[in-house]
Amino acid sequence: MTRDWWKHLVLILGAIIVLAPFYMMVSYSFKSPGEIDRGEGGFFGRQEQMIDPRCIALRQPGRADIEAARTRFLGQDDASVQASLLAETEAACSMRPVVFNYSKAFTEAPLVRYLLNGVAVTLSIFLIQSVVALPAAYALAKLNFWGRDAVFGLVLFCLLIPVHAIALPLYIGLAKLGLTNTYAALVVPWTISVFGIFLMRQFFMTVPDDLIDAARMDGMSELTIVWRVMLPTAIPALLAFAIFSVVAHWNDYFWPRIVVTGNRDLFTPPLGLREFKGDGDGSFFGPMMATATVIVTPLIVAFLLAQRRFIEGITLSGMK
Amino acid sequence: MSDLHIASVTKHFGETSVLKGVTLDVKDGEFISLVGPSGCGKSTLLRIIAGLETPTSGTIAIGGAEVTQLRAADRNLSMVFQSYALYPHLTVAENIAVPLQMRQMTALQRLPVLGGILPGARTHKDDIAQAVRHAAEMLEIAALLDRKPGQLSGGQRQRVALGRALVRDPAAFLLDEPLSNLDAKLRVQTRAEIAELHRRLKATFIYVTHDQVEAMTMSDRIAVMMGGEILQCAAPDVIYEDPDDIRVAEFIGSPKINVLPLERNGSALMLFDQVLNSHLSTESPKVMQMGLRPEALQLTQSKPHLTGRVVHLENLGSEVFAQVALDSNGSRVTLRAMPAQRHRLGLGAQVGLSFDLSAAIIFDAGGARLRHVEGAVTCAPEVA
Ligand SMILES: Nc1ncnc2c1ncn2[C@@H]1O[C@H](COP(=O)(O)OP(=O)(O)O)[C@@H](O)[C@H]1O
Ligand SMILES: [Mg+2]
Repeated sequence: MTRDWWKHLVLILGAIIVLAPFYMMVSYSFKSPGEIDRGEGGFFGRQEQMIDPRCIALRQPGRADIEAARTRFLGQDDASVQASLLAETEAACSMRPVVFNYSKAFTEAPLVRYLLNGVAVTLSIFLIQSVVALPAAYALAKLNFWGRDAVFGLVLFCLLIPVHAIALPLYIGLAKLGLTNTYAALVVPWTISVFGIFLMRQFFMTVPDDLIDAARMDGMSELTIVWRVMLPTAIPALLAFAIFSVVAHWNDYFWPRIVVTGNRDLFTPPLGLREFKGDGDGSFFGPMMATATVIVTPLIVAFLLAQRRFIEGITLSGMK
Repeated sequence: MSDLHIASVTKHFGETSVLKGVTLDVKDGEFISLVGPSGCGKSTLLRIIAGLETPTSGTIAIGGAEVTQLRAADRNLSMVFQSYALYPHLTVAENIAVPLQMRQMTALQRLPVLGGILPGARTHKDDIAQAVRHAAEMLEIAALLDRKPGQLSGGQRQRVALGRALVRDPAAFLLDEPLSNLDAKLRVQTRAEIAELHRRLKATFIYVTHDQVEAMTMSDRIAVMMGGEILQCAAPDVIYEDPDDIRVAEFIGSPKINVLPLERNGSALMLFDQVLNSHLSTESPKVMQMGLRPEALQLTQSKPHLTGRVVHLENLGSEVFAQVALDSNGSRVTLRAMPAQRHRLGLGAQVGLSFDLSAAIIFDAGGARLRHVEGAVTCAPEVA
């Protein structure tokens, strides 16, 4: 332990570097704009009542309001009625910074819709990727057929192709099919994951041949073996792949930005985040960070749940 | 009918030829052991019978119908693997039920939720549960039905694997070294149980092992395989007493058979410098080998055939095995003696050995049995 102190030091430094932006994000999502500007208030801010300037600007009492309110403030002149109304508005528009930030996050843009879009898109991608990758990986790992090594070579080759290099042809293809601005455009290009095929193939290589032969003796067809034997034994590997896939597509900004132009109903969470960028009335950091916090939370929760499952895993000792 | 015919089966993996023309007939209800050293192609032959591997040439027929091109799933054979190969995510009961589910239920009925509400699914399920319980009781694993394979000991997993094989009624059981992962005591016990199971089920068993004791104790017939060929297939006592080939003689029997060089000088049969017999036909080969089982050698004081010094002693209680280094050429022979003779077998003691020539098994230089030479020497006994 004492000999390893420097390892811990390096790890702690690494953890600080990785966690610092998250710390800032969560902290900003609690603070008022003034505190963010001046960099004060610790982690949670002082949570003093603050007034939403936009709320005030929208509810500025006009002539008609004053006339309408006259009955409530009998015997007062216009100026004092206006002052009372202003005071009421201010009271209505004042709130704690944390409430302000998070309510803005959900009201300024249809964040719930974006989150649901994100869930639908990432889950569809992952499901279809699995449906493609599991049989492909099984064939590459356990079946002998002519050209298998060549096919696996192609899989490795495809791993080397960066997404951005083929984005334009993909976009043109989708545009010609009239699929831009649809869910299909968000999902279809990702449904065949060579990384998934590669990862599952490597895992399937470790499954004993005897288990597959036993399944054949028991009367299973090759596809039945994939779903009833390989899939259940591959849950830990599939979870690892799920983390890669879901994180990548939940956080993806590049592709949705390309194929979703204008139609806000199709926005995924990262596109939603963009709505808070420089809206003319200065930076809107608090709500923006609140949105960011809301967006990353499902991922972190999902990861923590999956991690436990990871460690528990499925004991493969039955095969030994 | 589930007799099995394997006709001139060969198998090549790329350049290497693993099976070099194997022919074997197995009768209905017979227990046949395939025995041979590791790597001789036993598993390959069993997998070809099972349909998990296709032969390069040759045919397989089960019950008179050729099945060479049939998938493993369609051959109605059961197999027990050395590694047990249980499904790790299923309980013991589910493991045993799989072969029945796959054969008796349609794909629709097997679906997780929908399958349960289809007509007929209920009765199928009950039938299967019944069969599983029956198999589990036969193997005394009924108490383990809810456990996962990971929670079982090696012996218990082995029983589950057996249960999965016998829950349906296959044409034949194929077992690939099913006992080799068990400890010695459990192996002896399970050996007896498998033999008993065979008697009870009256089914055809093909049992692969590299352990000649297993083969000797369980089988109706033993097929000794070496280098991708079946050297001899016969009942255990025939294999032991009347081997066709020196490799069979050397593989079967523990301790190993003693092999001594013989020469023909004119019509005289010579062991080292002694004449054992002088009535040999001059057609017989000049160089021969003689196999003598340890129990064929006797301690003697007068006119010994062989003399030597005891170099190693193994006392098993009921019998004693002594290794004797021969004075003639320094090679060692093993002698089985009674405990009463132990006092003559101290380490380093000089001993004389004799044998009855009719107990000798004679082979040519290549290892093939020379029955006519044996006939000649035993008809005209003239032991010096
Ligand atoms: N799929 C395969 N590809 C190449 N060689 C194989 C394959 N299966 C078995 N062999 C070779 O065939 C020989 C016999 O194997 P096997 O039948 O498993 O022997 P045994 O079961 O008698 O120990 C071995 O030398 C092994 O290396
Ligand atoms: Mg083997």
